Amino acid sequence: MRFGLFCVSLLLVTVFLFPGVTLAASDTGTVNIEAQLVWGTNGPKPDSKLKLVGPKMSERLKSSPFKWDHYYEVNRQTVPVKINKATTIPMSKDCQIVITYLGDSQIKLDLIGKGQLVNTVTQALPKGELLVVGGNAENSTAWFVIIRQAD
Amino acid sequence: MTEEQQLKLQAFLDGELPEKDAREVAAWVARDAEATDLLAELRNTRKALADFEPALKLPESREFYWSKIQREIQRLEPVQAPAKSPSLFTLLRRALLPLGAVAVLAVAGVFAFRQFSTQGGTSHTQVNAMLADVGAIHYRDQAQGMTVIWLSYPAEKKLADNPPASTLPAK
Repeated sequence: MRFGLFCVSLLLVTVFLFPGVTLAASDTGTVNIEAQLVWGTNGPKPDSKLKLVGPKMSERLKSSPFKWDHYYEVNRQTVPVKINKATTIPMSKDCQIVITYLGDSQIKLDLIGKGQLVNTVTQALPKGELLVVGGNAENSTAWFVIIRQAD
Repeated sequence: MTEEQQLKLQAFLDGELPEKDAREVAAWVARDAEATDLLAELRNTRKALADFEPALKLPESREFYWSKIQREIQRLEPVQAPAKSPSLFTLLRRALLPLGAVAVLAVAGVFAFRQFSTQGGTSHTQVNAMLADVGAIHYRDQAQGMTVIWLSYPAEKKLADNPPASTLPAK
């Protein structure tokens, strides 16, 4: 009897839930992508103009296997990316990224360094998820290009 | 005396033989002492049994007597309750129970699909290193919802220029 009531309740919840899921899954064709260039270092602050990334971002970065003590935000941009249209975002003088929204939360990220295509990453990037592309830099520092869906 | 002759005597005594056979048996009994004795024995036995049977008189008519027995049998038989028509709630519950079970499976399927397809970026992440000397390490942190692609290329090639303080990339 209780299981029956549970099933009935779940059915009603599902009836109301599925339209929400369907609406949530519908593609508007454009996503707002926030791209950050972050510098990771164990040394002193390299530039007084730089500010630390937020505490949540810092915690997420420190939870990765690559640990630096400080993460400084060098550049941050939020751009609308239309579906199946490559959008170029310059991150530094020699580094830029090209983002293509493939629909259904799938994005394609092309990392370009000094005019050369270095790396391509294709993966789902739902809201709340981070895609971090990073690498070693001089003096035991590291750079990170972090992209996510903006709120 | 054969068994058939004994049975014929019994039939003679009961008056069941045709008239011709009855005359023959009567003549046979008259001239045969053994047959006479057996007939006398059968007659005595029948008389004894007839005297022994109790005379049962019903206080009411035969039809009424058996009707009482019939009513008593019907009274002792279990009475089956007439089938009640199910209520609207019962019908609704019967219909919704299988639908509820389907809903359970559907919700579980949706969560599983979202868990292993959309949220589980590992299986759908494609990393293509475009240069021969680029080594890419792929790391997925499910708890943090973070995918890390680590490249060995920039350290040597200075992918991102150092910043003004000689460590940061120029904007």
